Amino acid sequence: MKKIIFLVVAALMFFGMASSAFAAGGPPSDVKKGVFTELDASERTVVFEPEDGGEAVTLKLGEEVIPEDIELNKKVMVSMGHEGEEEVITSASVMFLGMTMDKVIALLIVGLIGGLLSGFIGSGGAFVLTPAMMSLGAPGAVAVASNMCHKFPKAMVGSYKRYRYGQVDLKLGLVMAVTAIIGVQIGVRVQKMILNTWGPAGSDLYVSIAFVVILITVGTYVFWDAWRLSKKGAEIETPKLAKAMQKIKIPPMMNFPKAGVRLSFWVTVPVGLATGMLAATIAVGGFIGVPGMIYVIGATAMVASATELLIAFIMGLWGSIQWAISGLVDIRLTLLILAASLFGVQLGALGTTYVKDYTIKVVMGAVMLIVMVSRGAKIPIYMNELGLASVSEGSQSILEAVSFWALVAALATAGGIITVAMIKGIIKDRAKDDEAGKEAVGAKA
Amino acid sequence: MSTNKKKPYGTAAITGALSIASYIVLFSNIDSVMDYFTKGGYYAAFPIMTALYFSFIHGTFASSVISLIGLEPAKSGH
Repeated sequence: MKKIIFLVVAALMFFGMASSAFAAGGPPSDVKKGVFTELDASERTVVFEPEDGGEAVTLKLGEEVIPEDIELNKKVMVSMGHEGEEEVITSASVMFLGMTMDKVIALLIVGLIGGLLSGFIGSGGAFVLTPAMMSLGAPGAVAVASNMCHKFPKAMVGSYKRYRYGQVDLKLGLVMAVTAIIGVQIGVRVQKMILNTWGPAGSDLYVSIAFVVILITVGTYVFWDAWRLSKKGAEIETPKLAKAMQKIKIPPMMNFPKAGVRLSFWVTVPVGLATGMLAATIAVGGFIGVPGMIYVIGATAMVASATELLIAFIMGLWGSIQWAISGLVDIRLTLLILAASLFGVQLGALGTTYVKDYTIKVVMGAVMLIVMVSRGAKIPIYMNELGLASVSEGSQSILEAVSFWALVAALATAGGIITVAMIKGIIKDRAKDDEAGKEAVGAKA
Repeated sequence: MSTNKKKPYGTAAITGALSIASYIVLFSNIDSVMDYFTKGGYYAAFPIMTALYFSFIHGTFASSVISLIGLEPAKSGH
C-alpha cells in the first residue's frame, strides 16, 4: 500500500513537472526578443529585427524610453504598451550584460557565500544572487532565469552530499515537492492578478509586504526557539504543534523514516503549498519550507534543511526548464556562480556535521530577519510610486542603500556564523579523536 | 587519528582538468554558445544539460579539493 502511494505521488510529480514546464508560469510571455538595427533619435523610432526571423519593423519609443540608452546590434528584450492609440516600446534592455573582471569576481564571491548558506540551511542565495545580478546590469527576468538554472545543479550536489551524511528524508522531499509545485502555480496566479490590478509597483509592494510579514513572524520564532534551546542545553525537542499534527489520523498515513515521524499526508499539503507559493512570490520557498518541516511536521532542523535541498532541486529543475524554454538563461552568469557555489554548497553541507541542531536555526533566523530589513526598507519607495505615501528622492536613495547593504550584511553574518561554528566543531572533533586515539594506545600498552 | 581513506588526487586532477577545459571551450566560443542557448523552445536542453554537466564534473572536482585540504565530515555525531 505504502509503495503504491509513493508511486502515485512520484507519477503525479512527474506529470505535474512535465505539464507545468510548458504552462504559462514565471517567464514573461509579452516581451519581444530581437536586435535594434537603426535608431532615429529625433523621430524617436527604431528599426527592430525580431529574433524569430520575422520581418524588421519600425517601432516608436514610449515616453519613458531614452533614445541614448538604445544600443544597436545587441540582443534586447522589448516590452510593448500603448500610449493613446499608438503601440510603443515601454522598455528595452540589453539581455546579456558585458562581462568584466570585476563582475566575474563579484559573481564568484556571492556564489561562494550563497552556496555555503544553501548547503547549511537548505535555501538562501536566491534572495541575494538575483538582486546582485540585476545590480551588475542583467534584466530582472534574465537574473531570475540564470539564478534558477544555477540553483538546481547546486541543490542537487548539496542534497547528494547531505544524503550521504544521512540527513535527507527522500520521501518527505518528494511529497513536499509535489505540493510545492502546485503552490508555485497558485502563487504565480496570485501575482498575475495583483499585477493586472495594481501594476508593477502594486506587485512589488505585495511581494515586499509578504516578505516582511512572513520573515518577521517566522524569523523571530525560529531565532527565539534556537536561543531557548541553546540556553536550555537541549538540542532537539519535538514542537507542540508537530505533536498535535501527528495525532491527526486521516489516511493516507505516511512514515517518514529519516524525519522519524508518522503522519497524515494531509498535514504535509499546507506546508508544501506554502513553500511553493512563497517560492513564486519571493523566490525563497525554503524560508517557509524549512520552518514548516520543523514546526509542523516535526523533523529536526538538520533533516529539514537537508530535505529542503532536495525540494529546491526538483523545483529548480522544473523552473529552469520553463525559463530556458523562454530563452532567458544567461549561461555565463549561471556557470560563473556555479564555479564557486559548488564549493560553497559542499562546505556548507560538511559544516552541518560539526554543529548542533539549533545552530542551523540560529543562522536561518538571523538571515531571515536581516533580509526582512532589506525588503522592508523598500516598502516606502513602492508606496510612494503608488501615491500612498510621499518619500523624497534623498530618502529614497538612503532606503535603497539600506536595502542593498542589509543583503550584504545577511550574507556576511551567515558566512561568519557558519565558518566560526564549523571551525569550532572541527577543533572539538579532532580533540575528541586525539583523546580516543590516546586511550586506545594506553589500553594496548 | 590517521585516516585510512585514500586522498582523491587522481579524481581532483582529472575532474579539475576537465572542468577548466570545459570552461575554456565554452567561454572562448561564447558568442555562438549564447546564440544557441537563448533560442528557447527545444534549445532549452542546452543550458539545462550544460548546468548538469558542470554540476557533475565541477562538483566532483570541488568535492575532491575539499577532501584534499583535509576537510572531512565529523566522525563523532552531534
